[in-house]
Amino acid sequence: MAKHETPLLDQLESGPWPSFVTDLKRQAEKKPECWDILGVLELSYKDRITHWKHGGIVGVFGYGGGIVGRYVDLPKQFPGVEHFHTIRVAQPSSKYYSTSNLRQLMDLWEKHGSGMTNFHGSTGDIILLGTRTENLEPFFWDLTHDMEQDLGGSGSNLRTPANCVGQSRCEWSCYDTEEACYHLTMHYQDEIHRPAFPYKFKFKFSGCPNDCVAAIARSDVSVIGTWRDEIRIDQAAVKEYVAGNYPPNGGAHAGKDWGPFDLQKEVIDICPTECMWMEGDELKIDDTECTRCMHCINVMPRALRPGADQGASICVGAKAPILDGAQFSTLIVPFMKVSKDNEFEELIEFIETIWDWWMEVGKNRERVGETMQRVGLPTFLQVMGIDPIPQHVKEPRSNPYVFWKEEEVPGGFERDVVEFRAKHAA
Amino acid sequence: MALSTEELKNAIEEKATTSPKPQLYIKDFYACDPDSKPRVIKNVANEMVREGRLMFWSSGSTTMYGIPSRIQDEEVSE
Repeated sequence: MAKHETPLLDQLESGPWPSFVTDLKRQAEKKPECWDILGVLELSYKDRITHWKHGGIVGVFGYGGGIVGRYVDLPKQFPGVEHFHTIRVAQPSSKYYSTSNLRQLMDLWEKHGSGMTNFHGSTGDIILLGTRTENLEPFFWDLTHDMEQDLGGSGSNLRTPANCVGQSRCEWSCYDTEEACYHLTMHYQDEIHRPAFPYKFKFKFSGCPNDCVAAIARSDVSVIGTWRDEIRIDQAAVKEYVAGNYPPNGGAHAGKDWGPFDLQKEVIDICPTECMWMEGDELKIDDTECTRCMHCINVMPRALRPGADQGASICVGAKAPILDGAQFSTLIVPFMKVSKDNEFEELIEFIETIWDWWMEVGKNRERVGETMQRVGLPTFLQVMGIDPIPQHVKEPRSNPYVFWKEEEVPGGFERDVVEFRAKHAA
Repeated sequence: MALSTEELKNAIEEKATTSPKPQLYIKDFYACDPDSKPRVIKNVANEMVREGRLMFWSSGSTTMYGIPSRIQDEEVSE
């Protein structure tokens, strides 16, 4: 029996798609507090204002993250959600689950919380929605002791690192994303569990430029697999694609008749740098012009593979639209070997150089990408001890604000212009 | 010369007690000792939370610090 009338929410159940309203009603049969979620949401639709209060002092002992305080501003009307804290649980690497693990986690959440979840938050965590303050420590004990899982990051912490499936399942992965993510997660336990920074900070690890964890869109440090030699071509397989014997795109998009595969039209003509062509029946690529868009490899995975000299590009400064608009991360290091052989030493040094600078220079609630934007890329490169290279330029002449220091100019600012002009006409 | 850990803790506590704002960002404590690196100040502030001298307040996206008696607890202010 419904506790609240919800005519507005009920409309959301009328479409052909699954509805969270139906899920909540079903869950409310077991967990009556879920009626109050529906009630408060219905009221918010009527009032056109949220009735959730954001934040608080809740947490578990020793941790400064992983729990987000949530309260309703009408506790007498909606006592079931008087406290409705969110718990972030670190997701398993590459989001590999076993059903027994999921059942155990759900049993735990039914025991201590509302049973409502969000798989997954945009950072990648398992989001458990809604519990009371007194349930936090018992939940945390069971999670860590019975399941050997941990909370994720929140607040001004390093957020839970995330990675694609990497070399565990993907032949395109140019480094071991799972190993990198796991190593850095363990290395930075203090930064994940306790606040450290002016604002949130995220790493994401993608094995190739397809970027299946959207590192370039979401993470302050995006580690995106790449190669620095040539795309490996199997010319015999190219011929099979041309002959129609291999399905393009690994058989994806096969639900419609697109006609016979046309290599020229579907690959060569839409290469963004126009670096591909046919010589007779052989496919040629000018790899020096390739920007790693991955389109040709995605279309013909049996014929084309990433090069063999593999590593990662490191980009910095992505963020979702909170204060400024959304921005992608900016390429800073075109190629870095990312290997557990040296315990990811080069990557860790890179990250900590950013942190030392950003903790000092970053304003409160300013993502590192916004700090970079504020000081300018040349200053950021100086901080990082990286010389500017052509790959740092998005497009020629788009930014005229390049400042030279006196020591960088031959002869300094006081040099004899007449003598200079004798060699370099104006 | 940078303050000792105990001197830094006292300076942070003084700042958190006398500040008009009950909740402060970690950067607000940097001025307590300009000779200490931000990471040192962060580590000391977090240690003070473990000792009960400071408390975290988090919106979910940002974390602030405050003296336990000054910080707003949503559960007792209602």
